[in-house]
Amino acid sequence: MDEVRRLAGAAWAFRARVEREASSRFARLADAIPVFDPASPVPDLLRRAAGDEDRHALLCAELAAAYGSPAPASTMDVRIAPRSLGPRDAVLYEVVAACCITETESVATLATLLAEQVEPRVRTVLHEIARDEVVHGRIGWAHLSREAAARDVSFLSPWVPSMLAGTVEDGLFSTAAPAPEDEELLRHGVLPRPRKKEIFLRTLEEVVFPGLEKLGVSASPARAWLLSALRHVGA
Amino acid sequence: MLFSKLFRLLVLGGAIVGSASGCAGPGQAQPAADKKADDRDGGASSDSRSAQTQDADGGTAQTQAADGGSAADGGGGGVLGW
Repeated sequence: MDEVRRLAGAAWAFRARVEREASSRFARLADAIPVFDPASPVPDLLRRAAGDEDRHALLCAELAAAYGSPAPASTMDVRIAPRSLGPRDAVLYEVVAACCITETESVATLATLLAEQVEPRVRTVLHEIARDEVVHGRIGWAHLSREAAARDVSFLSPWVPSMLAGTVEDGLFSTAAPAPEDEELLRHGVLPRPRKKEIFLRTLEEVVFPGLEKLGVSASPARAWLLSALRHVGA
Repeated sequence: MLFSKLFRLLVLGGAIVGSASGCAGPGQAQPAADKKADDRDGGASSDSRSAQTQDADGGTAQTQAADGGSAADGGGGGVLGW
């Protein structure tokens, strides 16, 4: 049980950090978009989302502390766009990576967790975060949609594998046997790795890739990357 | 079921939100002279766990090269989530 609590605490502490970083990123992107798209509704949504993420970070940190793993208070705003992209393309890259991919994956993970038997305190936190994350995922698709209506966004296609590579945590594609504590962790809001892998892949195949293709970004390089990653681990 | 609902909710719902206030202009990007790499990367440490920069890994670098970019000139990264 101590090991389960330690792992659950580490997961929630990591989530607190992820949420804080999302807050900084959203606030920065909100300031960047009006330079080239002054009529966009996205900056206001991003500012609201930044506030949501601060609140989520607190909720995650409280849960982490309850499991005995205090979350670090510091945060960094890491810019992830390739250096070869101009400012407008860099914003689009970052919005797609952070919202169309990561937030969309997060919504699928949260929905999956909420369908399971989880501790009441964990359920309350999951529920509050899930409600907001739907909006955050939608922000990315809203921005990509506006950009796709205004100009050619196909340059993103070869970069999607880099976004995915940076989204996947170490060992996600591993074919190792589930750990004994996996099922117990589910009660504390942490998906067992095989389940997480399944959700990740299905979300890509059924939501992210079709969404990108609908809006003019070919998913072929991303599919090739995924196939290669799965082959590499023998999955 | 979950995934088709997510597609409608996020992708289609997002497109509706995006079209709410007219369209973005195609020619309003900052001039190329303003494309300073350090505007986007300056001061960012590369050791963050939740935002990862892609190293020169085989397939990714090759596909980037086809577009004129490369991992060597500052490959893109991704964002870890839940």
